[in-house]
Amino acid sequence: MEKLLEILEDIQPDADYAACTTLIDDGILDSFAILSIVGELEEQFGVEVSPADIIPENFNSAQALWGMIQRLQG
Amino acid sequence: MSFVSTEFLLFVAIAAAGYYLIPKKFQWMWLLLFSYIYYASSGIKFLIFLLFTTFTTYSTAIWIEHVDQQHSDDKKKISKKKRNITIIGLLLNFGMLALLKYINFGIVNINVIFKADLSFPDFLLPLGISFYTFQSMGYLLDVNWGKCKAERNPFRFALFVSFFPQILQGPIGRFDRLAHQLYAEHSFNWERTERALQLILWGFFKKMVLADNAGVFVDTIFGNYQAYPGLSIIAVLLYSVQLYGDFSGGMDVVMGIADLFDITMDENFRRPYFARSITDFWHRWHITLGTWMKDYIFYPLSLSRPMSRFGKFARKQFGKNIGRTLPICIANIVVFLVVGIWHGAAWKFIVYGLYNGLIIAFSGLMAQNYRKWKKSLHINEKSKSWIFFQILRTFLLVNISWFFDRANSVREACGMMKNALIHFNPAELLTIPMGESGTGFTPIGIGIVILASAILFTVSVLQERGICIRSAIAARPLVLRWAIYLFLVFALPVLGQPPSATGGFIYAQF
Repeated sequence: MEKLLEILEDIQPDADYAACTTLIDDGILDSFAILSIVGELEEQFGVEVSPADIIPENFNSAQALWGMIQRLQG
Repeated sequence: MSFVSTEFLLFVAIAAAGYYLIPKKFQWMWLLLFSYIYYASSGIKFLIFLLFTTFTTYSTAIWIEHVDQQHSDDKKKISKKKRNITIIGLLLNFGMLALLKYINFGIVNINVIFKADLSFPDFLLPLGISFYTFQSMGYLLDVNWGKCKAERNPFRFALFVSFFPQILQGPIGRFDRLAHQLYAEHSFNWERTERALQLILWGFFKKMVLADNAGVFVDTIFGNYQAYPGLSIIAVLLYSVQLYGDFSGGMDVVMGIADLFDITMDENFRRPYFARSITDFWHRWHITLGTWMKDYIFYPLSLSRPMSRFGKFARKQFGKNIGRTLPICIANIVVFLVVGIWHGAAWKFIVYGLYNGLIIAFSGLMAQNYRKWKKSLHINEKSKSWIFFQILRTFLLVNISWFFDRANSVREACGMMKNALIHFNPAELLTIPMGESGTGFTPIGIGIVILASAILFTVSVLQERGICIRSAIAARPLVLRWAIYLFLVFALPVLGQPPSATGGFIYAQF
């Protein structure tokens, strides 16, 4: 989870990833940021993200992202 | 049937009235009937194209689901089969669109490159083909990805493809948001109807009073720019106003008509000229085209195997930051090339697309650097002056793109931009005739454009602050409300350009 937060901070700093649950809905992460994050997740966690996974439910919070990573790894 | 005609208003009135008089379970069939009547009014021979897309999409979607339901342990084989079926559907429909839209462009360029003398009959495009094709192909991809279930009723599916308010110029809808509304049972509601009629009225105001009056000047200047060297800047600003008024006005009419049937369409505009960057602009301008491109081209392309491999290679060569951003930039440029080509078969549209794509790609690559520079220059991103600078800068960049969008060719666009740098003579505007009274009416025309722009600007600022205009008006005293409605109603015939003088909606040609 720490690694994930580091990735998020590096790609799109100045957001409260611990608490925010509207990263997509509030436009904090745009499509460039989303794809950069996906690229890092694939590199660092060895998961394969498909277009169908890129939905607000998976990206609105760091927790949701972590859940997606674990599902894809499982 | 032009939107701006009494027969269309009558058509909508009959459709809406009948909709609430018939038994609710037949409502969607009523909509289907009227959608096909509307489509046939554009030319019965064009129905074949609409039916082609409807039938091919309907059957390939069901075929995909049939394959998906086969009991097989070989998930990869099933996935591959589904993908191949999807490709068949995409090729048939985008192939048809490409053939009809771009064959002349292709032949002209082949003739130039190979010094050949090929020709092809020039035909009219089926109504709304770009819009309904994109909407249908989005559905097909959604079924392939399991995002929605295939519609088994062919007539219900036919309604999704042909729904008449949106067929002319969008918005491009999504099956999971639109379909259930189309098929549901709806009850009449007076407040909703009132709001819908207000929105339609406002849309016609933007189109007929603002856009069409500005359009007289735009058409004249862009049609012969060398005769008006001092008007390049004013021409492109007027085009900014015309294009926005025309398209967003058309969207308001479309959304208002859909609201009459209690169907909510997706938003297509969100005060785009207040955008703070070109990226932001495309989140506010023709929103449904942008999201379509994002979900069906940008993400799939960026996440594809070849792109992932390229990303790994780029990381090794250029480091982490550029490495992970470069594939996204390339995918983005491809998307905007498609956006450009979607507008039409001409080099200027390709330049238009590339211009937007390169700006966004470049800002993506520079994002980390921009953040560093802003920090070291102590720029407060939330300050009013910074935001104002961003809006102005974006407006300038957008207007440069409008030169390529509107001028007759790349060469003319460049010629006009050169003029914009050297000449500025607003007085030339008074030499442009408006209507039958010639140049006598021109100052009044300019006045109308300024007044309507001021009204639109005020409304936009309020909306940007989160104020719902229709609610705000509804809360005012009766006299004020009716003064506003009557002003709009009378503005249309008195201040607006007559429909016969203008060419319909700009985006209806795509």
